[in-house]
Amino acid sequence: MTSELPAVMLESVSKWYGEVIGINDVSLAIDGGVTGVLGPNGAGKSTLFKLLLGRLRPSQGSVRLFGTDPWESTSPFRRVGYVSETEPLYEWMTALDFLTTMARLHGMTRDEAKERAEHVLDFVGLTDVRHKEVGKYSKGMRQRVKIAHALVHDPDLIILDEPLHGCDPLARTSIMSVIRELGNRGKTVIVSSHILEEIERITEQIVILHNGRLLALGNLHAIRGLLDKHPHRIMLETESPRELAKELISEDPIYGVRFPEEGCLEIQTGDLSEAHAILPNAIVKSGIKVTSVENPDDNLDSLLGYLVGG
Amino acid sequence: MDVQGRELSETVWTRMDRKAGAVVELTIRQLRHKISTWVVLSLGTVLMIMLLAFYVDAVREGFEPVDNDGDSVDADRDGYPLGQERKYGTSDWDGEQFPGSGTYIYEGEIDWNDQNREISGNKTWEGMSFLDSTWIDFDYKGGQWDYIIDWDDVTDCQDTRGEVFVDWIPDYSTACQLENGTYATNGKFTAEGNLTVPIDYFLSWGYITGIFDVPKDPKEMYIDEDDIDWDGSGGSQGFDDDGDCLRIDWYTQVDGNGDMMWWQEPHYPDSNRNGIPCDVVWVIDPETGEVISINADSSVDEDPVDENYVGEAGHRTFVIATGKIAFVLLLGLFLPLFLSLGLVRDETERGTLHYLLSKPIHRGEFIFYRVLGYLAVVSVFVLILSLVMALITSVIGPGDSFVRLGDFPVWLGIAFTTILVLAAYGSLFNTIGLLLPKYGVYLCIIIGVWEFAMGFTTLISPSSSVASLSVSHWGLQLIDSVVLASWPDTIQFSQMSYAFGLETGLEWIWSPPVHTLDTNNPYLGIITSTIVLLGTSAAMIGIGSAVFSKREIM
Repeated sequence: MTSELPAVMLESVSKWYGEVIGINDVSLAIDGGVTGVLGPNGAGKSTLFKLLLGRLRPSQGSVRLFGTDPWESTSPFRRVGYVSETEPLYEWMTALDFLTTMARLHGMTRDEAKERAEHVLDFVGLTDVRHKEVGKYSKGMRQRVKIAHALVHDPDLIILDEPLHGCDPLARTSIMSVIRELGNRGKTVIVSSHILEEIERITEQIVILHNGRLLALGNLHAIRGLLDKHPHRIMLETESPRELAKELISEDPIYGVRFPEEGCLEIQTGDLSEAHAILPNAIVKSGIKVTSVENPDDNLDSLLGYLVGG
Repeated sequence: MDVQGRELSETVWTRMDRKAGAVVELTIRQLRHKISTWVVLSLGTVLMIMLLAFYVDAVREGFEPVDNDGDSVDADRDGYPLGQERKYGTSDWDGEQFPGSGTYIYEGEIDWNDQNREISGNKTWEGMSFLDSTWIDFDYKGGQWDYIIDWDDVTDCQDTRGEVFVDWIPDYSTACQLENGTYATNGKFTAEGNLTVPIDYFLSWGYITGIFDVPKDPKEMYIDEDDIDWDGSGGSQGFDDDGDCLRIDWYTQVDGNGDMMWWQEPHYPDSNRNGIPCDVVWVIDPETGEVISINADSSVDEDPVDENYVGEAGHRTFVIATGKIAFVLLLGLFLPLFLSLGLVRDETERGTLHYLLSKPIHRGEFIFYRVLGYLAVVSVFVLILSLVMALITSVIGPGDSFVRLGDFPVWLGIAFTTILVLAAYGSLFNTIGLLLPKYGVYLCIIIGVWEFAMGFTTLISPSSSVASLSVSHWGLQLIDSVVLASWPDTIQFSQMSYAFGLETGLEWIWSPPVHTLDTNNPYLGIITSTIVLLGTSAAMIGIGSAVFSKREIM
């Protein structure tokens, strides 16, 4: 019965703390697949999650998890897994122990809980170290324990608050693949981040929050498409920027060049994807060595700047 | 209920069970990983070890005979103990007064104005003189506070201060000897010879009559000399073994008006007013057969053989005092102060609360399970501690049997009471920790002081209505009830302590329970106290749950 209702449903939800606004008139529904919640620090991501988890009560509007108000009832938490942004764990517990305890809090028997714990530890790749105390884990391993804890009761909705924050590239990659795998298995996954590139590697379905408002909702590529038509810069590091500029200026999407500093070439373009499509060939043709290519405008700030500024 | 419904309810119940088990187990394990847990539990253990050491020490020394009525003293140091002086009506505050000391009859004096300052004779003299003696009664000696000259301590009158009785006078109740062999006296003495009274000084004389010889009784005769005479039944009992109530053949001295001398204690041979002088009224409850009150005439059975009574009463005093003060007041307050205040608050501070709150467990339930977890830890500790105490004291305690099995219900009752008190304080402090995360500890300390004060108020005045506003009051009352239920003759020992002056402390540490709905039934006392303590815990958990359920958690 409840399975037909969307996992997450917000209707005109506002939450303010005294004078400060956390979330301002947000309406959205999320069901199925991986959704990225993007926004700079203070955009309202954490407030949104705390509303979903019944830790805060909306000042206005209604929040529903599988059709139930999470402030009033804990029953939807049966189907929800949550990975918090905060660091602490029970340091003295082993990973297996911790996950077994957490599974038991969902009403599983000791044996069921242990079996589930072993299963999710395998899923996040921590089987080898499951008998080690989590206090001795690296940052990435701790993050994976927290994710495993959110999965141990096989939830339908998984909420991850900044799961990649502070992780090394290796951990990042493995966590991203775990999240993508969850999406492939038909779970509803909500991931927050303030880094566009991270989200981009996980999902195309995004929600952008800014100053508590819902700024954009939908496919990342569609949103980016808008952005691509906007003037963009590409930075190239090379030994001979002027020679390379001569070669590239004739290309169609490129309408200007600058030399901001020694060994550096800035290309200005009106169509970022087109420019990236022709760049590799043009560079190879010129025979000039390029050590790096960067898109300084391809980040959340410029995206937000574009969306807000219009 | 159809099959499906039953299955559903079973599922709900068993799942709740499992969640409760998980929260309780997690709480226990968390407490086990806290240093403060081990510190406070160790302190509790050390407290019990110290108490046991005192107990063992007391038992090893045994129970020495105590002079419960205080008549073995010899305050005036005349060699006759108070008990013997009282028989003869003499004062134990005046060394001249003792059995057979006789009466001094005044004959004459030489005062400041008399011209003739010389006198001869065999008299008892008092004052200042030069004594040229032919005989001195060296045995006429006083005690501590009289002025009879001590002839063992005569000094030489040669003195740098000058001429005796001109430049200086000998100290009171002393004499000194001059070069020519005469004495300069200041005090009372009996002697024969010629006496010269120095100018400006005074001497009186007389004789002592009615002297007879009374052998001095040893002090030990007046210790444990009036044992309790009781045949086990009710009514008029007792016998005044030492005769200080009956006073048959006593020499009672009276003054000129026929009144008793000032040092004589007022004598009321029927102070319990039952019409029978010098007896003890024992009141026995016809239903239980237990002694419920003892009313003794003064000075009857008042100096019993301590060994027979103090051992048992002292043992009970130790058990009850340990239960009330060490278990209920000290462990009862300090364990929750360290272990329950942070049960939920610490999770918030540490940032691990969300692991527990993002689970399908109602917050109110969650608080209840947390308190249960804490209670599991402290209950096991209290049970072990009380059983160890029970085992040791019941083996080395007084009595003929190898183990005092009758002690165990009392110790279990103490453990039960302590656990109820720990539940009440635990839920109270946990709720305070939730309401006032930062300053709650100060409020808890204030509450602790209040609870201590009310605990001691309850010890002194069990029926105090103010004290009933405290958890400690109900805890102590519960112990009183448990003691009466397990050892029904405690009233008898308490009454004996009170009636016969036994210094066991039992009547101070234990009184019959108050909250028995006027039935004096200890089991009703147990029920009422248990209900109040459980109700307090439930109310506190309820308040904590209500507050916590409606709280936004950042």
